[in-house]
Amino acid sequence: MRMLTRKILDRAFTAGGYLAVALMTLFLLWVLVPIFVKGAGAYVFVGTVEYRRMMLGEFGRGNEQRVAAEWAEVQRAREPVYEAIAAFERELPALPVARRKELKPAFQAVREGVAVLLGPAPGKPLPALTRMIYGQTRWRQAQDKAANILFEETWDYSGNGSQKVHVPRQPLFEGTALAPVFPLLRKELRSLLRPRLTFYPRFLTDPSIDAHFFGGIGPEVLGTVYLALGAMLIAVPLGIVAAVYFQEYAREGPVLTFLRSCVNTLAGVPSVVFGLFGLAFFINTLHVSPGKSVLAGALTLALLVLPTVIRSSEEAIAAVPRAYKEGALALGAGQWRTVLTVILPAALPGILTGIVISMGRAAGETAPVVFTAAVSVGKWVTPSEVLSQPTPALSWNLYNLCTEHEAVEEIRHVQYGMAATLVLIVLALNLAAILIRARVAKRLKV
Amino acid sequence: MRVSLFVAGLVAGCAVAQAQDKLVLDGSTTVGPIAKAFAESYMRQNPGVNITVSESGSGNGAKALLNGTCGIANLSRDLKGTERKAMEEKGVKPVAHVVAYDALPVIVHPSNRVKGLTIEQIRNIFTGAIRNWKEVGGEDRAIVVISRDTNSGTFETFKELVLGKEAKIVESAEYTGSNGGIRQRVQMTKGAIGYAGLGFVDRSVKSLEINGVAPSVETVLDKTYPISRELFMFTNGEPAPESLAGTFIGMSRSEKGREIIGEIGFVPVPPKQ
Repeated sequence: MRMLTRKILDRAFTAGGYLAVALMTLFLLWVLVPIFVKGAGAYVFVGTVEYRRMMLGEFGRGNEQRVAAEWAEVQRAREPVYEAIAAFERELPALPVARRKELKPAFQAVREGVAVLLGPAPGKPLPALTRMIYGQTRWRQAQDKAANILFEETWDYSGNGSQKVHVPRQPLFEGTALAPVFPLLRKELRSLLRPRLTFYPRFLTDPSIDAHFFGGIGPEVLGTVYLALGAMLIAVPLGIVAAVYFQEYAREGPVLTFLRSCVNTLAGVPSVVFGLFGLAFFINTLHVSPGKSVLAGALTLALLVLPTVIRSSEEAIAAVPRAYKEGALALGAGQWRTVLTVILPAALPGILTGIVISMGRAAGETAPVVFTAAVSVGKWVTPSEVLSQPTPALSWNLYNLCTEHEAVEEIRHVQYGMAATLVLIVLALNLAAILIRARVAKRLKV
Repeated sequence: MRVSLFVAGLVAGCAVAQAQDKLVLDGSTTVGPIAKAFAESYMRQNPGVNITVSESGSGNGAKALLNGTCGIANLSRDLKGTERKAMEEKGVKPVAHVVAYDALPVIVHPSNRVKGLTIEQIRNIFTGAIRNWKEVGGEDRAIVVISRDTNSGTFETFKELVLGKEAKIVESAEYTGSNGGIRQRVQMTKGAIGYAGLGFVDRSVKSLEINGVAPSVETVLDKTYPISRELFMFTNGEPAPESLAGTFIGMSRSEKGREIIGEIGFVPVPPKQ
């Protein structure tokens, strides 16, 4: 009987374990799959002729003749649209006052909608903002914009509760010169914009143009790399030295207990506190740089990951068999030499794992870099400028683009592209940790 | 203007001093889009120049100017007395430059049938005296008050122009860190009411008429819209007209700069005479 209970309990425990793992996997998939699917949209998408014009105009990429030829054809296809608008503009003043009052705002909306969809009308002066020089560069968004012209989205407040209604604009303009525009937009949108499957791998390395409306996330990726590498450059030597001290040199006692609890407390401090501390200490007190800089951010991140580096290094050192150490000491090596030539190499796989995982953490942290390193617009930072220059960084700019940007909806693909890239970088770092560990462990065995 | 930009380009091109070709801007998330667009346009014309823009809020912008960690502080409000005093003590001489005008549209979810409110009603809503939309002609739905955080210049302006200095915002209010954030919150919440800069409000939310006036470029210019304000860039001392900071701020009165401001959705200041 007792045997049976034990068995059932055992099974239940195993089942609980499986359930937990399954839940975790599901959750991970639920979070990651949409990010990757939507993030891929920044690299692979259906681009329009406006995209190809933009690439040629802003980056000098693409075949000039081919784009020019395509552009000429598209302009021919667009002619009826512009002709209808011009004809209606001439017709409008002659209409009866009541009809004019009714049509004018709707016409305004159509004309503005066309400018958003296809770019500024030919012959009109170019706008100052790059985002307005070109029409919709992505087919999906172009379709939405076309729908905004065809239908007016309003709310019906007459019933009980209010309802969103899409009122077609075409009937309003029936019989006027503007009428031909609507069937054109509905049926001929493809010939107006020429959608084509587009690969944009350089999204990863291109700088952004006009606040991320066009271009890629190159400076952000580079900034993230600088910050993560810089943090490791500072945290790793400090962390390993501290770990060696804790494991090999320090004597058990109140001092050691105190120091350990210091490290543990540091590990539990929220990251935004590190950010504010970095601003107050490194920038406003020590003046490591004239303002925000990669250096200040790396120092702050280093503090943040230091406890992780110390703890993982300590564990790796503690896992080195006593026999190694005793053997070295028996052969006459001093403690310093034992640590350097026997213990550290044997502990290396564990230490490296800790380092790479901390690097992933440093790459993904937002709060510590907001006040110390990150800016929303900035040029590429060259290696010689890291001491004084702030940088865009993936984590912060992702937040910035999702909340503070003036046109959050227009640049969804950039946001997802950034998120996917950041997650991929962190995943790649973790994978590297696993591989390095396996490799070094194998080498040490031989 | 073009000449001065050209001069700035020349100066930046052959600058020996590091400070001449670097400019750091920090502060308001409302002024952010203007500063970002100016920076990109400026760097395009002067490739040797490096301008960085952070958007950490007006309060932090003022602190950055105080600590000397930025060359230009973007503020969507004027400096407060306490800030001026702190700067005076540190020897920082703040100089205000108005770069654009802005209105604060009061925004609600588009499903809301309320078309407009009076300042009095808005004050009562934000201080908690009115808690249901049916009290102001809407349907029976609890009002969700959404405000900017207290570091924000937009918050300060709204408080000063609508609520009055002493008023306390209802304790059930939500606080959001940016203009974009407040718009998204309102867009997602049926009973919500909030406010944001003119350049941030799009068709996804409904701007209310206030005392019968809808917020727009025209109503800001003729001062009929009651919640309007100036957007500032502050420098430490008056920048030399041909310096990087001087020409950068000068853009706001140039033809191109005014066009940029208008296209983003704010109201440009009058051009330089």
